Amino acid sequence: MHNAPMFDWARRYRLWIAAGLVASALGAAGLARLQLAQLRDAFETDARIAHRLLSQRVVQHDAVLATLALLQPQAESSAPEQRLTALYPQILGVQRRDREADWADARLAVAETLSRAVRRPALAGLDLAGARYQLVLAAEPTSFALQMDLRTTVPWSEWPMAPDTSPVRVTLEHDSQSFVVQPGRIGAGGWRFDFHKHLASGSQPFDVVAQRQVGWGELPWGRMAAWTLAVAGLLAGACVLLRQREERRRAEELLRLGQVARLNTLGELAAGMAHEVNQPLTALLASTQAAGRLLAEDPPDLDMARNAMTVAAQQARRAADVVGRLRRAVQRPDPAAQLQAVVLQDAVNNALYLLAPELQRRQVASQVDAPVTPVSVLAEPVALEQIIHNLLMNALQALEQVPAAERKLLITVAGDALHGTLSVADTGPGIAPDVLPRLFEPFFTTRTGGLGLGLNLCETLAGGMGGQLTAAHHTPRGAAFRLSLPLASA
Amino acid sequence: MNTLSPLIHLIDDDEAVRSSLALLISTVGLRVQAWADPLAFMAGFDRQGIGAIVLDVRMPGISGLSVLDQLVAQGVDQPVIMLTGHGTVEMCRRAFKSGAAEFLEKPVDDEALLEALQNAVRAHVKSRERHQADRAARERYAQLSAREREVLGLIVAGLTNKEIGRALDVSPRTVETHRANLFAKLQAESLAQLIRGYAVLVDESAQ
Repeated sequence: MHNAPMFDWARRYRLWIAAGLVASALGAAGLARLQLAQLRDAFETDARIAHRLLSQRVVQHDAVLATLALLQPQAESSAPEQRLTALYPQILGVQRRDREADWADARLAVAETLSRAVRRPALAGLDLAGARYQLVLAAEPTSFALQMDLRTTVPWSEWPMAPDTSPVRVTLEHDSQSFVVQPGRIGAGGWRFDFHKHLASGSQPFDVVAQRQVGWGELPWGRMAAWTLAVAGLLAGACVLLRQREERRRAEELLRLGQVARLNTLGELAAGMAHEVNQPLTALLASTQAAGRLLAEDPPDLDMARNAMTVAAQQARRAADVVGRLRRAVQRPDPAAQLQAVVLQDAVNNALYLLAPELQRRQVASQVDAPVTPVSVLAEPVALEQIIHNLLMNALQALEQVPAAERKLLITVAGDALHGTLSVADTGPGIAPDVLPRLFEPFFTTRTGGLGLGLNLCETLAGGMGGQLTAAHHTPRGAAFRLSLPLASA
Repeated sequence: MNTLSPLIHLIDDDEAVRSSLALLISTVGLRVQAWADPLAFMAGFDRQGIGAIVLDVRMPGISGLSVLDQLVAQGVDQPVIMLTGHGTVEMCRRAFKSGAAEFLEKPVDDEALLEALQNAVRAHVKSRERHQADRAARERYAQLSAREREVLGLIVAGLTNKEIGRALDVSPRTVETHRANLFAKLQAESLAQLIRGYAVLVDESAQ
């Protein structure tokens, strides 16, 4: 049962999830490939160095033999060739066959024959598993043979890898024999790099084989995980940002709809009220005027005139009843009942946030002067919001009448011992002196199409919360409205 | 048919408004017939009578504007004065477009209403008279022979007897006879009267 909402969630965000998976997979694959490429480069560099080092060494053996063949040291004398083993640790011993003598080992004779044919040293007694081989060079009068040890041939001091721990397996192979230079770690699964190259020596053409097994564990899992997390984080951030924008747009839409709906309701109310009040007024006016005419006749029709006046009085009462009924119908619940502590700064910021597009559209620069400490007043939040909203909208509409460069909106929040005040001042055309005293009258408006109820409503709401709304001139120009509400802590 | 005392039809669903306006209108000597229900009014009022109609825009069931539309569609020629408690420019425009004679806002001042009514009645009487004169002229014109109509057309066009004779290829004497006959038939006493009363009919039949 728990997976139903989970499923819903997954379905709602399936595009985001798919995008996230694709981005993660692509990124991870890229990171893995990069890592593999780096490992392959390192492997090939190491293998090439190993090949070069080994090649240099075995070429030395040829050179030693060539030198011996050239110098032809005498067997009876000090036999200097026997001192070679001290100079070259890989040379275990030196044998010689003087003219008309024979090799002790028949394999050396075969090798010498070969050497004479190819005119370079030849291999004999190859035992790669045992790390031994012999190298014979046919010469006149004396031929020489070197007994070699492969293990000491490897130049460990210059070796590019740590022979015990390196994962690279290096072997020397020849005639399906092989000598393990370093064992490496070759397992199953993953990727394998291979390197094959013969030693650069005609006499000892051993095949250098290097292998490197890259297991799954060697992939850059940490970086891949970090990448995946980063992608998820970025997408989640983008998602949240988009949703916030969407929500804000919706909130603005709702606000606008609310205003339209409120206006429609007011329009309906006004039409209904006009009809309900106009009917008795029409009868009242017609009756009194008829009575006037009847009295003016010669002779005056007193009875008819009296009747008309009775009707007039009845209709006047009827009109009064209609007004009373309307007032009771539209009376708001007492705002004092829902008073709570509201921080003025928050209310102002909220209203400005909601009206930000309006400000931007009218290129109005707004400035908020508020103390750092919150000014907390007793208010009914919705009523307060409505007052601030109305005051700001009024200011914006006033600012529309002056050039864009002169449009400034100054909002001030302050608090004294008992009251918190909010002042909204604009640099619009201001309030005409004859308009100022009538500003808060119901149905009084200077705007064509205005209902004249906005400021009246604001004043009523402010009064209902135990506060006060006043209007004044703003210097040097414009209007200033000041809302004062009792402090929550007072 | 009492053409001397015009009858005002007053349609409003509100009893007090009805009786007060009726009283007011009667003080200037106009007869008033008050109707509470617009449909009953449409079904029952005298379409031949001289007078005017005072119609409230806002009534339950049917709007005054649709009543106006239906009256015009039925060819009712009494002028209609619209009354409204909550007039908008759009409503006013619609009313005049539909053929309302006047559009007044409630509560209505006696002078405005009575003046509008008297103007409307006067206009209605005049239009009825014009209509009747028109009908009589048509009847007389219908009595003319084809040749007399031709001659009348040329007289209206400003030709002399001689020119007419030449145009119709008859002698001026014959033209004179036709001329005398048509003057008698059309009961015209002067050339000016003849032209004023029948030029329109000549143009109509020429088309």
